Amino acid sequence: MKLLLIICLLLGCSSILSAQIGDSTKANDDSIPIKDVSEVLNGKNNFAVFGNAEMIYFADKHNNNFGEVNFKPIFLWKLSEKLFVEAEPEFETGGGSLDIGLEYANMCYIVNPYLTLHGGRFLPKFGAYRGRMGEAFINRFSTAPVGFGDGGIGAMNEVGVGAQGGFGAGSAKINYELYLSNGVQILTDEENAGQFEYEAYAANSSAKTVGGRIGLLPFSNSSLEIAYSFQNKTKTGEKGSAYENIGVNMQAFDLNYWGHIKSIKTDVRIIGEWKHQKVDNAVYYKADSTTFTFNNSPTAYYVAGSIRPAYLKNVILRNIELAARYSEFKRPEHWGGDTNQFAFSLDYWLKWNTVIKFTYQTEKNIDNAFYGQIVFGF
Amino acid sequence: MKTKNIIIYALVSVISLGIIGINSCEVSKKVQAKTGTQLWGENCGRCHNAPGPGEFNNTNWDIVGTHMRIRTNITETEEKKIVAYLISTNN
Repeated sequence: MKLLLIICLLLGCSSILSAQIGDSTKANDDSIPIKDVSEVLNGKNNFAVFGNAEMIYFADKHNNNFGEVNFKPIFLWKLSEKLFVEAEPEFETGGGSLDIGLEYANMCYIVNPYLTLHGGRFLPKFGAYRGRMGEAFINRFSTAPVGFGDGGIGAMNEVGVGAQGGFGAGSAKINYELYLSNGVQILTDEENAGQFEYEAYAANSSAKTVGGRIGLLPFSNSSLEIAYSFQNKTKTGEKGSAYENIGVNMQAFDLNYWGHIKSIKTDVRIIGEWKHQKVDNAVYYKADSTTFTFNNSPTAYYVAGSIRPAYLKNVILRNIELAARYSEFKRPEHWGGDTNQFAFSLDYWLKWNTVIKFTYQTEKNIDNAFYGQIVFGF
Repeated sequence: MKTKNIIIYALVSVISLGIIGINSCEVSKKVQAKTGTQLWGENCGRCHNAPGPGEFNNTNWDIVGTHMRIRTNITETEEKKIVAYLISTNN
């Protein structure tokens, strides 16, 4: 009902926008006529497969091995100008055996230039790392920041429906997403107490989560994006269990800046994200039936920067990118306590989406390690 | 439940007020005048290295454009102009 209200509001407002915001397509003075696009395509129902394959080499003072070979094809169907399906199965081996999962299967209906409705299993726009900056051919590091990978916090995959879009406002741009989905499910076993299943395929109760993100690109060249995300669920436990009414509130801020320093012919990128979740207090049980509780209010953030002299004439130098990242994860003692991580990376780009990464990483209470990663985009 | 309602109503209010405010401001002429080449250079590289002209065939550029619009919320005008530019380099 609430999502319906929001969608109706968006539909109404987007209609107003359609009428009032100048149609910049018509105002296009580009020498390339947009109408020619449909004339040069074959058929109306089109299909393509993209994606990437990746492998990691890991070495510290005790071990070294190849592993985490993953294959992630992305299937895209454009059924018409308004209907679109995107799906990504994942074949991962990082757990020691082949793990097949469905990252997303998202069905989209493009209502108008400012509103797209979607339903299915999707990557919620909660922050920008998950589903975007963390993708292997985008992430400049072989690893994830602490708190953003396995054992981290924040929304990951959702099953439900949503509304999203983007529009210009003056010289700025605004984008948004709102969604209603099954949401995260609290884990109550001793080892994982107070953490969540962020990638469930099925609901554990009839409770739903509401989430969303609103982003602003204040400059006309789109060089900076800042955004706020939230996700809220009042009942994360299994229906009928003692944990049914444990709620969680998640928030995130993300920033992405990309620019050029002409004097040194270099691209510069600065990105960062902060996310926090507040979980209602609960009493958990140990294996010996004694109980324990803790303040469950973890926070994770990272900041990263990279430079690439992309405009040099020397082919080898212009394909090299240097990157550095710092991340912190403030988490309950029960989960291992606070930690932080430094990572430095030297990447060599063989193609726009194909890269070899050499990452050196230090992390609190963990041996320093070297990670090499090969990512082939296709 | 109370917090959830407050968040929902606050968000609806912010979006409503924002859209009402935006109704009074058109996309600037400077942005309207941007070519597909400019928009390709400005938007694709925000997350990943921009795929170059000739990377995909015409049909796939059209599919990629829609996929990127959904994944990153670029505007329809940006999508159309960028795809038109990339297709033009194939022909």
